[in-house]
Amino acid sequence: MTFRNEFFEKNAIFLLIGTLITVAIGGIIEVLPVFTIETTVEHVEGMRPYTPLELRGRDIYIREGCYLCHSQQIRALRDEVERYGHYSIAAESMYDHPFQWGSKRIGPDLARVGGKYSNDWQYAHLKNPEEMVPESLMPRYAFLQETPLQIFDIADRMKTMRDIGVPYTDEDIANAQVDLLAQANPNADQTKLLARYPKAVTVSGNGEPTEMDALVAYLQMMGTLVNFADTNTERLRQ
Amino acid sequence: MRTEVGDWIVGPMMAIFGLIGLYVFGKANDGEMAVFGASLAAFAVVFVFGLIRRHYDNVDAARAAAKDDRHG
Amino acid sequence: MAEAAAASPPIEYNMDVVKKFIIASIFWAIVAFLVGVYIAAELTWPWLNPGSWLNFGRLRPVHTSAAIFAFGGSALLGTSFFVVQRTCRARLFGGKALADFVFWGYQFFIVMAALSYVMGYSQSREYAEPEWHIDLWLTIVWVAYLVVFLGTIMKRQEEHIYVANWFYLAFIVTVAMLHIGNNIALPISLFSAKSYSVYAGVQDAIVQWWYGHNAVGFFLTAGFLGMMYYFIPKAANRPVYSYRLSVVHFWTLIFLYIWAGPHHLHWTALPDWTQTLGMAFSIMLWMPSWGGMINGIMTLSGAWDKLRTDPGLRFSVTAVGFYGMSTFEGPVMSIRQVNALSHYTDWTIGHVHSGALGWVAFITFGAIYYIVPVLWNRKALYSTRLASWHFWIATLGIVLYIVSMWVAGIMQGLMWRAYDQYGFLQYSFVESVVAVHPYYVVRLLGGLFFLSGALIMVYNLIQTVRSPTTELPREPLISTRPAVAVAVPVAGE
Repeated sequence: MTFRNEFFEKNAIFLLIGTLITVAIGGIIEVLPVFTIETTVEHVEGMRPYTPLELRGRDIYIREGCYLCHSQQIRALRDEVERYGHYSIAAESMYDHPFQWGSKRIGPDLARVGGKYSNDWQYAHLKNPEEMVPESLMPRYAFLQETPLQIFDIADRMKTMRDIGVPYTDEDIANAQVDLLAQANPNADQTKLLARYPKAVTVSGNGEPTEMDALVAYLQMMGTLVNFADTNTERLRQ
Repeated sequence: MRTEVGDWIVGPMMAIFGLIGLYVFGKANDGEMAVFGASLAAFAVVFVFGLIRRHYDNVDAARAAAKDDRHG
Repeated sequence: MAEAAAASPPIEYNMDVVKKFIIASIFWAIVAFLVGVYIAAELTWPWLNPGSWLNFGRLRPVHTSAAIFAFGGSALLGTSFFVVQRTCRARLFGGKALADFVFWGYQFFIVMAALSYVMGYSQSREYAEPEWHIDLWLTIVWVAYLVVFLGTIMKRQEEHIYVANWFYLAFIVTVAMLHIGNNIALPISLFSAKSYSVYAGVQDAIVQWWYGHNAVGFFLTAGFLGMMYYFIPKAANRPVYSYRLSVVHFWTLIFLYIWAGPHHLHWTALPDWTQTLGMAFSIMLWMPSWGGMINGIMTLSGAWDKLRTDPGLRFSVTAVGFYGMSTFEGPVMSIRQVNALSHYTDWTIGHVHSGALGWVAFITFGAIYYIVPVLWNRKALYSTRLASWHFWIATLGIVLYIVSMWVAGIMQGLMWRAYDQYGFLQYSFVESVVAVHPYYVVRLLGGLFFLSGALIMVYNLIQTVRSPTTELPREPLISTRPAVAVAVPVAGE
């Protein structure tokens, strides 16, 4: 039976259905298997959900559009690995709702920026990037330091994350505010926080966390969770 | 140009959106929802007002046209 | 006197909603170009970032949304309502109220989205930044749009659906599918704007770029091809070059485009098989794209001289040329080895703008220059000379833009991967930032040229609508009929 476009040209509903079927195929074959193929997200040790403070920091990162200038995805290319560290694996962004891989580098990639600079450097740089990097194109974010962090809805945010698959426990959610305040206060006891969230970085707040505290907490853990010495490329195959 | 069936469907639909907007504005947890809710409510008011105004403009125009027919 | 047979009553089209959309499109064009110029300036001289609301990070989505959805979208909705009515010889389905709802509802979406970005609410999904509540509103408006458009086609008096309408319809339904699929998110509460996407990490990446590439493929390509298929033949007064080509390229284009998403994720943590599929289909996509280009340009057969005299047509045909260029560059950049150099650089930005300025904006300008005199019942454009100036200034702007970004992008890519003779990376990242600064200045200049051209267009169109020189000749004021009726003998009496 030869294809007759007339069939579609004389009937709007057939044209609509024919179009919809045609455009659905690509998505079904390309997108769905990324969800169903088990090896897509590698099995590695070390990944954990974001601490309450890091989660707020990430929300601020998204709000300010940081992803527009900074990528968070080190490609499997020699020069990139040398410049930024081990190439990014899918597991490292498994709790990133939404992902922040980025698509442009006006500034450097941040996938493994955690611990690369001191907390003080990060604060100074966010306040006035030009001071730390004279040729920088980055805007100033000093206002983050002036803005107190809103924490009244932190439990709601974590519950929402849990509803979409991030494994926060009841204990994590119950202690959301406590953990957040502890992480933003170097004088507070960090043991419970670190038990729940290994490798969480305490930031230099004074107990009344600002938006900049949250952002620095997020930046300082990026790319630090997975220990690549414990795994090899075979185990990272997708 | 007469008032059509569509007017009677879109009008009440917009009115419902307006009420939703007002409700959202009242319970908003952040600035954005407050702005969105209030704007939606205002938009609905202006839009429905526009529909009503056009309806009565149509009625007046029809009445005037009928008068012209009789006298003309 | 014998009466002539009564002609069928002329169809009263709803052109009021078309006029509204065209005016909106022109207004948003200026906004989009202005914001674009400003953020280009912010990248060139960072001290122009005033802090929070107008920083580059919050302002960029205002620019992209204004260009794609406000300017482009209003043009698409307006011209689609014009074309569907004229080619189906039917008044818009749903009446005046539904059409007005689509118009005002869409404008409301635009304003709410832009406001939300500067206030600090974004889903951080490129070309899908609006938060969940605005996404919901857009869905409602879009359903209404589909109802109006499809309803009009279904009550058509012509048996065959004209080709432009296949493209417009494909644009409408595919955008609906993509919008709904990509934006599934859970708000932290019903009364909070903040939400988290249900997808995460690599899965979120493939969903976002399934959407993102097809926002380009269906919003910015299929929809505007619909525009091309009406306004080029109309302005040239020639039939479309090849019916068979339009059938073949329509179905293959809409089929292949969807698969191209992964070329945004080469060398990332997206699995290799997906990247390879994306690359292969992106390369294949070159064919139906050039099919469209050939069909558009060859429609000028027998009417090439019109390019000298009709600047609106010149815009449209040049647009198709840029379309061909961009749809060749795209597949090239989709090759993994090329992408290893181009990804994350300004070459991508150059590619986007050759498509956005060269194809999308130019085909829209061509349509607008044709449609404004028709809609407002004027003799012609106020000044073809001004339209010509617009063309040349805008083209110069585009050339400056894309060439500067090609140089900047390739330079960045090469600098990032350069090794010195000792085997160390030769350049620090910031050295690449410094190196591209002069090209950012040139890009800014290109954008300024493009904006200036558009301002010339605005003046020309305002004058077209208002100037007495473009009025159609009116009925003479003094009646030429005799004062007293004279009995005229008629044959047969």
